[in-house]
Amino acid sequence: MPATPLVSRRTLLAAGAALAIPHIARAEPAPLVIYDALDFVQAAAHAFTAKTGLKVNLVEQGGTGGVLGKIAAEADRPQYDIVWLEGSAVMDRMAKSGVLGRHPDLVKAAGYTALGRKLAPADGAFCPTTVSTTGITVNTKKIPASAYPKTWTDLAHPDFAGVVAAKDPNLSGPAFQWLAGLFQTMGEAPAKALLLKVLSNKALSGLPSGGTVNKALLTGKAKLAITQDSATFAKIAAGEPLVSLYPGDGVVATPSSIGISSRTANLDVAKQFVRFVLSPEGQAAMKTGDDADFFFVPLIEGVTAKPGRTTDINFIVLNNDVAAAHEAEWKGWFRANFVP
Amino acid sequence: MEGLVPREFRALTHWRTLPFTLAVTLGFGVLVLLPLALVMGQAVMPGLIDHADLTVSLARLQTTLSDPRSLTAILHTIVLGGLAAGCATALGFAYALMLARTDTPGRRLLAATPWLVFLTPAYLKALAWVLLMSPGGYLQQFGLLSDGASDAFFGLGGLVFVHTLNLFPLAVFIVGSAMRGLGGEFEDAARTVGAASFGAWWRINLPLLAPAVALAFLAMFAEVASDFGLASTIARTSDFGLLTYAIYTATQNYPVDFPLAGSQALVLLAILSAVLLLDRTLRRQRSLRLITGRSRPARIYRLGPWRWAVCALAALVSLLSVGLPLGAIVLRALARTLSQGLVAHNITWRWIAQALTPGQEANLALVRSLGFAALTALISGVLALLLAWRLDLGGRILRNAVLAVAMGAIAIPGVVMGLGFILTWDRLPGFADTGLYGTWPLLVLGYVSAALPYALVIVLGAIGQIAPSLHDAARLHGAGPVVRLARITVPLIASSLITAVLFVFVRTVFELPISQLLQPTAGGPAPVVIVRLFGNDDDGIGSALSLLAILATGGIAGAVWLAARGLGRHFWRNGVDSLGGMPGGR
Repeated sequence: MPATPLVSRRTLLAAGAALAIPHIARAEPAPLVIYDALDFVQAAAHAFTAKTGLKVNLVEQGGTGGVLGKIAAEADRPQYDIVWLEGSAVMDRMAKSGVLGRHPDLVKAAGYTALGRKLAPADGAFCPTTVSTTGITVNTKKIPASAYPKTWTDLAHPDFAGVVAAKDPNLSGPAFQWLAGLFQTMGEAPAKALLLKVLSNKALSGLPSGGTVNKALLTGKAKLAITQDSATFAKIAAGEPLVSLYPGDGVVATPSSIGISSRTANLDVAKQFVRFVLSPEGQAAMKTGDDADFFFVPLIEGVTAKPGRTTDINFIVLNNDVAAAHEAEWKGWFRANFVP
Repeated sequence: MEGLVPREFRALTHWRTLPFTLAVTLGFGVLVLLPLALVMGQAVMPGLIDHADLTVSLARLQTTLSDPRSLTAILHTIVLGGLAAGCATALGFAYALMLARTDTPGRRLLAATPWLVFLTPAYLKALAWVLLMSPGGYLQQFGLLSDGASDAFFGLGGLVFVHTLNLFPLAVFIVGSAMRGLGGEFEDAARTVGAASFGAWWRINLPLLAPAVALAFLAMFAEVASDFGLASTIARTSDFGLLTYAIYTATQNYPVDFPLAGSQALVLLAILSAVLLLDRTLRRQRSLRLITGRSRPARIYRLGPWRWAVCALAALVSLLSVGLPLGAIVLRALARTLSQGLVAHNITWRWIAQALTPGQEANLALVRSLGFAALTALISGVLALLLAWRLDLGGRILRNAVLAVAMGAIAIPGVVMGLGFILTWDRLPGFADTGLYGTWPLLVLGYVSAALPYALVIVLGAIGQIAPSLHDAARLHGAGPVVRLARITVPLIASSLITAVLFVFVRTVFELPISQLLQPTAGGPAPVVIVRLFGNDDDGIGSALSLLAILATGGIAGAVWLAARGLGRHFWRNGVDSLGGMPGGR
């Protein structure tokens, strides 16, 4: 009688098949990995997967600072294919340090508006995807319309002493874009002098998130806030008593910007994703939610903003080179003066 | 031969246990020490990671120590840590005493309070208190809060108040555990020689409980020092700078200022070491072994009519620590907008319905978090048991050293540990090649490293009280080390072990910094989603999701606790045979 084999042929075949399955699966392109801190990325990723069948994995942080910290810690061993953040100066700096690759073909192929063309770097270090700005948000229950500030300088009026809230540019991409823009339009020294007068209450200046700023404005001590207008429009749509004002001395364009890692092993899919995001179809997906970032001003021809969102804004374009060169210094100055 | 080796080093030198001891110590080193060292090392070796440069420079440390803002943050951290830990220890002691030794009515119900407090993460409680105490907050809308009280809350007083209510459960767990081990015979002996009830407590019980009280104080001081939930909300909007917030801002940039974050973390560690050293200097007595397996149940104090007053006070603590914060979160989950407050047309079911809709990213994240937390709790429980067991045999020096590192790990903000994990598993040759970075097993390892110190403190506290006579008796009966661990140690500390496992489970479901920094690319855990919603001011859906997470976590933890209690009773009834009739079995 032949000895019974310890493992039957059928079992061996099944085991072989089981071992082979992961290898077959590996033949598919690896999922695209995106590091981001924007509300609409999930909607864009779902639409992209629905259209192409390609999988996208999102690693989302609470804010721009969180994403930057993770990217900095990973240094020359990045685990992301795409970075998608708010602000242009920081993207410019990452491109200069070699973290992001340059793809001028993507910028060239995008159907940008005139503003989009101004914001997009010709060398393709990153692609602006939408734009918003930082203005002055007023709680209409706390300040009558007749007393609304009309310029940044108006914020220094004694009536507003100690009641102006602002986010910390060290933690927020849009807040740094605003700070750099103010320095650009007013000149560094006058802008610093103005902020020292305006942000006199440290309990309200340099707050860590949009959430803390809004709470200070809605139920706290603040009557006005220096905030991103898209967040204000989302709150107005939800029924909060707010209004977004654009100071006559200028507001800086804050693009959401997408960049591709210089070390990605998934370049074709990454470029396909960026092209999708810059298409009317991708932009339509990015308007399907109610959160702040969905209330953007489009930069792609033929795309319209969500209802209720002001688009007639006289944007100032930031000099990314100057802002990037002074970023650490200006953030340090803000932290030293306005963050305990 | 054994007699020539001091007990302190015996476990290290014993050849039979050496590989095991080395493995356990190595595991602790890789999980806790290495990530911390890679971040804090950059305080004195700024080129350590980026340039593999070991040149020592104290410049950044000196800058940190001479910067007035840093000095203020250090002072604030010490003052807040001391006051909050002191108040929380006192409240926790009183609460544990009320539960264990009095006839206060409703004790079974009141015993749930510490767990319910613990089920609500600090960042949620911070949000709740901001919603309650703001000038236009819920308490003012109810007409229960004056402007002056609201102003006073946003400062040191409010921070101590919220930290005390948030942390006293830790003291209830640690001191309560020691009270159970204490039994009643020491006190009874004192009373038979004429000591009054107060005298017996002052002269006998308090000194016996002092190690547990000190441990609770230290653990809570470390907790306050590392807290980010209150530091970024109430403290920040009170202009009250804290070290942990300074470390956070140093790490949220490109490039990260590792030398600054590292030197501030080193300062935190130094503060904690000083407190630890002070405690060791003040209490030089040897630790006492209380669990003999024969202790009689302690006397229950009859409070007479005062029991109702004590019950009312305990109910007030429950209301302030559980009822009000959870009530605020429920209200926010039902409110359409924040500013319109508590009016009928502002009520909506939208957030609750959205949170309960299956298949949403947030629900999937919650399911993932529950799985990660369960795995973390099991691994941490087993590791803490093995480590505590070896350390207990190893003697005081090794035990105190590991305890100091564990306390230090609790005091260091999670963001430092998270960044240390990235540096270890994405950048360090050997570790980076494992390919673990960006996967869920590394997230679980990160959770274990953050939770292990807590589990160790709880288990070590219990194991340290087992009288050596029990092990000696078992050894005389021929029981080997593994049998002694399984049949003597584990049954005697089962309650503390289950506490540690559930503590880790609950803590991990809501753990934030590690979740953010080590989230797997294939799908993140729940705290990332919840805190992102709060950060973006989507408080309604954020609150609804948090409530769902609390209910799910509480339900699972409660079910495990009940099952463990049932098993324990079964074991106790049938324990004589399984323990081989040894004295420790009863």
